Amino acid sequence: MFELRNVEKRYPGVHVLKGIDLSIAPGEIIGLVGENGAGKSTLMKIIYGAVQPDAGTIEIDGAPVHFRSPRDAMKMGIGMVYQEQSLIPNLSVMENIFLGFEQQFVHLGVIRWKKMAQAARVQLRKVKLDIDPGMITSRLTFAQRQLVELAKVLALEERVEGHLVILLDEPTSVLSKDEIELLFSLVRELRRRASFIFVSHRLDEIIALSDRIYVLKDGLVVDVIPAREARVETIQKKMVGRDIALEYYRENRQEPYDADKVLLELDHVVLPGRQHDVSLTLHAGEVLALVGVEGAGREGILRAIFGLKKPDKGTIRIRGEAMRTFSASHSVAQGVGYIPRERKIEGIASGMNVYENMTLSQMGHYSRGGVLDIPAERALARDWIRRLSIKVPSEESDCGNLSGGNQQKVVLAKWRSGGSDIILLDHPTRGLDIGAKEDVYDMVRDMCADGVGVILVADTLEEAIGLSHTIAVIKDGEIKTWFTCQLGAKPSLYDLIHHMV
Amino acid sequence: MTDRVAWTERLRRHFPWITLTTLVILVGITDFNFLRPDNLLNLAADIVPLLIMAIGMTLVIYIGSIDLSSQSIANMATVLTTIALPSFGVGSGLLVLVAGLAFGAVSGVVTTRLKVPSFISTLAVGGIALSVGQFASGQQALHMDAEMRRHAFGWMVGRTAGIPHELIVALLLVVAAWFIQGRMTAGRTFKAIGAGEPVAVASGIRVERYKILAFALSGMFAAIAGLVFSVKLSGGSPTLAEGFLLPAIVAVLVGGTPLTGGVGGVVNTVIGTMIVAVVRASMLYLNIPAMGQQIFFGLVLIVAIASTIDRSKMRIVK
Repeated sequence: MFELRNVEKRYPGVHVLKGIDLSIAPGEIIGLVGENGAGKSTLMKIIYGAVQPDAGTIEIDGAPVHFRSPRDAMKMGIGMVYQEQSLIPNLSVMENIFLGFEQQFVHLGVIRWKKMAQAARVQLRKVKLDIDPGMITSRLTFAQRQLVELAKVLALEERVEGHLVILLDEPTSVLSKDEIELLFSLVRELRRRASFIFVSHRLDEIIALSDRIYVLKDGLVVDVIPAREARVETIQKKMVGRDIALEYYRENRQEPYDADKVLLELDHVVLPGRQHDVSLTLHAGEVLALVGVEGAGREGILRAIFGLKKPDKGTIRIRGEAMRTFSASHSVAQGVGYIPRERKIEGIASGMNVYENMTLSQMGHYSRGGVLDIPAERALARDWIRRLSIKVPSEESDCGNLSGGNQQKVVLAKWRSGGSDIILLDHPTRGLDIGAKEDVYDMVRDMCADGVGVILVADTLEEAIGLSHTIAVIKDGEIKTWFTCQLGAKPSLYDLIHHMV
Repeated sequence: MTDRVAWTERLRRHFPWITLTTLVILVGITDFNFLRPDNLLNLAADIVPLLIMAIGMTLVIYIGSIDLSSQSIANMATVLTTIALPSFGVGSGLLVLVAGLAFGAVSGVVTTRLKVPSFISTLAVGGIALSVGQFASGQQALHMDAEMRRHAFGWMVGRTAGIPHELIVALLLVVAAWFIQGRMTAGRTFKAIGAGEPVAVASGIRVERYKILAFALSGMFAAIAGLVFSVKLSGGSPTLAEGFLLPAIVAVLVGGTPLTGGVGGVVNTVIGTMIVAVVRASMLYLNIPAMGQQIFFGLVLIVAIASTIDRSKMRIVK
């Protein structure tokens, strides 16, 4: 029996896990579902030892354990099958399986490869993979590599006493239908050897494979449902939680956009590595949401508009004028602003203060002959600190020390103060708490009221539906269908998911 | 916990000048003559070429790169100044400046466009500069004609009210570099590149141009260092500035500009150079042979890097 009791985790500014209880019996398969930001990945990291909880206990058969690293967890039989695979491509399959545990094959300081190959074959047989253990990993297919990864975790079996607990993080996201079937039957068979925690966005799969389903929302387990009784709609409802106020996304402030004023046009744009072309039109005051699964090609479109990626074919027109040079500086000069997903990497320069961050994209306006007008910069920062009620001691504070919500406000202020009227929002509320999210939603409405056009890649589907005027559903780089999201006639989650997968 | 981090962080910022004061007091106790104003002024005048080179180096380290060509460019500059002096007079100084700028720019272009890491690109460009110096000089020490030197660069040597002129030159250069760093868009951009290059890119800044500019300025400052040095010694040789590189890097890092860039800057380097100067002087007082200096600076460099580097920016070191 593997158990978590009242596990908590905080990061600066966010309470990610607020007391999680979870238990897994030997041979049990549990499903773990929740929206992005519900705390799933942090919870998993705690289970496999990559992150240490701030409070609460982890127990195996009633005895408390402490994992300081994934290796500690592995020694206790907890293994992770990573979504972005963790195998080292230029090593052989067997080297990967026993990575870090080669000692058992060492004789007089030399690895005995035959012995390792033999042991690897035993592991590969468990996952019914008939390949040469000496094969270089990069030559396997994605599905094969996933099975090798599973074999790697199963190799723990011989080394630890007691039962294994194996985490499967979105294992089906890039598998074909047949491969998924194969994986599922394998997992069911392996129940003799291990319990599984199965994380996926695909609720039907979760219901099909698991025994019990944990629904996570805002760092809490809101329900544990036996899979026999579970239905996709009820789980969805629990994931979103209907306690959210009707105006959570500030729908009451949604005004019709100006259909006569086109800000941006993509005309049969083909991005590198994609088969299909994309066409869309963004108007003043419009929020256009791109929805789709991870890797469907939403970010590529944003990056092309921002000039970070050059399309193979087609034209991008900004206010009627075709883009010829593709560089961020060119797009910025054309009034495009980009709020990146990786706030701490591309959004905020930590080590630089508030006004330095705000004017970074528009230093030309705050300098003459290359000499900065610092008093004007400060005045601008003070003005926006007040307008967006950014919680910061002064305009000279280091942005690296601000909370996520305040950092995001600084990034938004950077573009808004520079007069950008085409704003690209890439997961603008990622990692923010509820209050900060609502502030961001308010700012989106403010921008629309000012005639700004927004392209949104939202953190959740609800967010996309709630905020947008128009939704483009993207699958494999192609716009599958369009929805208009006028107030009172918004599409449902189900309508969208239907086209996404 | 965050409080403790902030506290060590704050202390780290003050570390350079605390080190400097401590060192000065220590050496002063050992030999009171050290603290006499004329001694200190001489000491300062002696390190002017090193300071100028270190100032240029600061700009490159500030953006998170490194310039290993400075010493070779300074060497080349001593030779070129001496050769060009008879025909161009004071214009030879300008010529050398442009040469340094060009060599630095080449490093910058190689680093940004060809994506060659700066420690390799500048090492290679430094090799080229060294060879240019060797060819131009015919591998020997050259001497300036005393009259021409006085005529063209006389203003650089000598004293006014007891202050050595080269010190004033250095001061002007420091002020210029400080102004670029603190008051100009270029300096702000250097800071952004050092603090978080992806942010600068995503803000629409033409990062590559500014990187090239940083390298070019570093090359120019290295050339000025060579120019001042050759005027001071009244001649040039392809090995004149030998032994400058390590102390210059030490000066930048000890001053508090870490290899990862983004913090510190020109003023820090002034303090760092003074620390280097005091350490050097103390070696004389303690009778440590000159040959031992590089050993010491090598050790200081390792300690300085290990203690100032921001490890959150460098997870993997190769």
